[in-house]
Amino acid sequence: MNVRDKIYDRLIEVSNPERYIGNEYNIIKKDWDKEKIKVLTAFPDVYEIGMSHLGLKIIYHLLNKEDNILCERTYSPWPDLEKLLRNENLPIFSLESGRSVDEFDILAFTLQYEMSYTNILTILDLAGLSFYSSDRGANDPLVIGGGSIVSNVEPVALFFDLIFIGEAENHIVEIINKYNELKNDGLTKNEILIKLSDIPGVYVPSLYNIKYTDNGTIKSINSKDNIKPKIKRQLVSNLDESFYPEDFLVPYMDIVHDRATVEVSRGCTKGCRFCSAGITYRPVRERKKDTLLKQIDNILDSTGYDEISLTSLSTVDHTEIQDLVQELTAKYEKENVSVSLSSLRVDKFSVELAKEVQKVRKTGLTFAPEAGTERLRKVINKGVSEKNLYEACEAAFNEGWSTVKLYFMIGLPTENNEDLQGIVDMVNKVLEIGNEIRKDNKKSMKPIRINVSVSTFIPKASTPFQWEPMVDKVDLIEKIKFLRNKLNKKGINFSWNDENLSLLESVFSRGDRRLADVLINAWEKGARFDGWGDFFDINTWLESFRENNINPDFYLRRRSKDEILPWDHIDLGLNPKFLLNEYNKALKNENTSDCRFANCKGCNICINLDVDLDIIRNDYNVYKN
Amino acid sequence: MFIRTEYEKKDQLKYISHLELMNTFRRSFRRAKLPVKYSQGYNPHIIFSMSQPLPVGMIGYQEYFDLELNQGIAFDLIKTEVNKKLPAGLKIKEIIEINEKEKSLQAIVNTAIYQYEMEFDKSPKDKIKLLKNFLEKEKIEITRFRRNKEDRKIDLAPMIHDGKIVEDNIWEFTISTGSSGNVRPQEVLRALNIETKGLIKKVPLVKIKRIGLFVRKDNRLYKPINSEVLKKEVKEN
Repeated sequence: MNVRDKIYDRLIEVSNPERYIGNEYNIIKKDWDKEKIKVLTAFPDVYEIGMSHLGLKIIYHLLNKEDNILCERTYSPWPDLEKLLRNENLPIFSLESGRSVDEFDILAFTLQYEMSYTNILTILDLAGLSFYSSDRGANDPLVIGGGSIVSNVEPVALFFDLIFIGEAENHIVEIINKYNELKNDGLTKNEILIKLSDIPGVYVPSLYNIKYTDNGTIKSINSKDNIKPKIKRQLVSNLDESFYPEDFLVPYMDIVHDRATVEVSRGCTKGCRFCSAGITYRPVRERKKDTLLKQIDNILDSTGYDEISLTSLSTVDHTEIQDLVQELTAKYEKENVSVSLSSLRVDKFSVELAKEVQKVRKTGLTFAPEAGTERLRKVINKGVSEKNLYEACEAAFNEGWSTVKLYFMIGLPTENNEDLQGIVDMVNKVLEIGNEIRKDNKKSMKPIRINVSVSTFIPKASTPFQWEPMVDKVDLIEKIKFLRNKLNKKGINFSWNDENLSLLESVFSRGDRRLADVLINAWEKGARFDGWGDFFDINTWLESFRENNINPDFYLRRRSKDEILPWDHIDLGLNPKFLLNEYNKALKNENTSDCRFANCKGCNICINLDVDLDIIRNDYNVYKN
Repeated sequence: MFIRTEYEKKDQLKYISHLELMNTFRRSFRRAKLPVKYSQGYNPHIIFSMSQPLPVGMIGYQEYFDLELNQGIAFDLIKTEVNKKLPAGLKIKEIIEINEKEKSLQAIVNTAIYQYEMEFDKSPKDKIKLLKNFLEKEKIEITRFRRNKEDRKIDLAPMIHDGKIVEDNIWEFTISTGSSGNVRPQEVLRALNIETKGLIKKVPLVKIKRIGLFVRKDNRLYKPINSEVLKKEVKEN
């Protein structure tokens, strides 16, 4: 039944009704027949964020490619629509057929960001489903999850029937078909989940028992009888040959990334020690230039976009990037298609590439030195020198850019006042370089602007800094105040994160299953869209912690090296000693070079996950043998 | 070559904004590989101009845009190719060539017909009488609410040109639109609401449809693609 039809005309009462109409060009509306297995993907944030997410686009097209599977979409309703649905006693609906969740076999969430956890609860509740997997029956849709934060999903684990660890392309169809088969065989939900847990990468949280010690740390994580003790991350071993959609949906709304996208590579081995993606997407796998050129051509044809983004964790490091960019600009300049690079390295080469691609339209330039001194950049293994930054900015100003954006982090391990002053000095120097060039420039150049964006370091699971404490709130406020005062001048625009939001994100980043009740409690008190400043209220959360007898500081503390961590049963493929080695090197201010361009660093992921390495490295085979 | 196109925007697409509509057209031109002309400069974009925006929520049956092409191309071909590449709810209905120096749509379109789904309980006879009285009024004063500006009293009477009851509760009004006199479609309802002391209810925008946009000349309505209101000669390419 089409639920949306019942309130179609009332969508005029909510903000941005075009979020809910579907009907995008290239939308896939399959016949709703009995034989098909029906999957509803859910993104726990609003449409314009969710529609920009590449992973979900891949899944949508990958599943709909299967004749026996139908896949539709839903996103978090904005609070005004949530209110309307509740007033009218209506459930959340899919954008394609307008049907409610109970008509689907599977509800599949993508997990991207800890601060959207409450939105998962909104969708479950508006679907008429109980939050905990154990409270849902065999007739309820199977609730599954996956995405980039699976290195620790424990705070929400028990809401899910199963969670997929890693890149799902190679297994998602198998999981869906197997589930359908087992359900048709009349198995109970528990029996079904036990069987599904045999599939590589499938994590059924209810089959893992967590015990706690008296002081609150974890005593043991035990899988039930005959269930694999650890869940091994899965990945696409050959990215070049893996599925990539070309008939992207074209939204009406101006979404966050409103452009055609190709994924030039996946993974990053630069080895920044704060970075979670740098571990969970290892190793680097590339698509070949010719594959990309063909995909770009088809995507532009089918969408009508006039901008193509080359996306990855480090696009400039693609082996064939220079040729790719040159061929793209030669081919598309006349057609008014602009090319954008999703992430720039801090160096001159990046600026030259940016200049090459931005012949059609000029967009902003962003560099991320991350820390203010050479010493601290060594600690976090960000291999960028001041010289790199100044050269890159000089090149940018010389090429006519008047605005650059600089990213830094504060609250990093071992950080001191000198490091903060270092940020101030670097920003000032960049401004000075810009102003010098502007003064000498004969052509008119807009006033130089440096946008300084400072985010708070959050220790993440499965990174070398996973044992580190979160920066103390009082210190954090002091650090922000220091930078605000020093960077308060003409030409510099300083922005930073809400300290309470950072602290809460930190609690959940390294949280465990006991936080699930806190989430539900805060949601019941009205917590929604916490990542959006306008809705976030720390007091709601503090009350919820109190009412559940949980001290959030417990999760922010330094973790002992011999402590069992809540995510220890998730096997990312890492050599168990790798993170600790990296941590020790950090404390000694030692760099670790990128294994793509130097020798293997022994994280062992390539071997443990059996990666078909398409980037030829001489020492790889030596190491393998 | 300059073309003027009549299109309709209906169904779900009533919820997309004017800017979103323009982007949707631009992308469909690209998908259809239409030889469209681009602006010069740092941020080149397809040059085209549209008639008066439809408010979000309202369907429009006869809407217009002007577009410049780099080369001549058969109108039937444009129509079929672009329609294939438009999302459901948008459709090009007619295309004509116009003079390069033709006045813009916003400059010539001065009248619109709106159809209202009314909420009004009365006998048909009473309705006809009420409408007649309303249209004959010398002065129809309402307060116009303006964003970030003071409210203002305006007289709608000279800007309401015609009205009729199409069937039962479907009413139609022909009113001024554009820079030389503009009535917002809901203002007519507000005036009727005041006139009937609340018997005629105000309805949301989704209950109002724009039947068409016109050039009103000597008390007659012409479509902006009607040769009567266009410059006579089109420069040959």
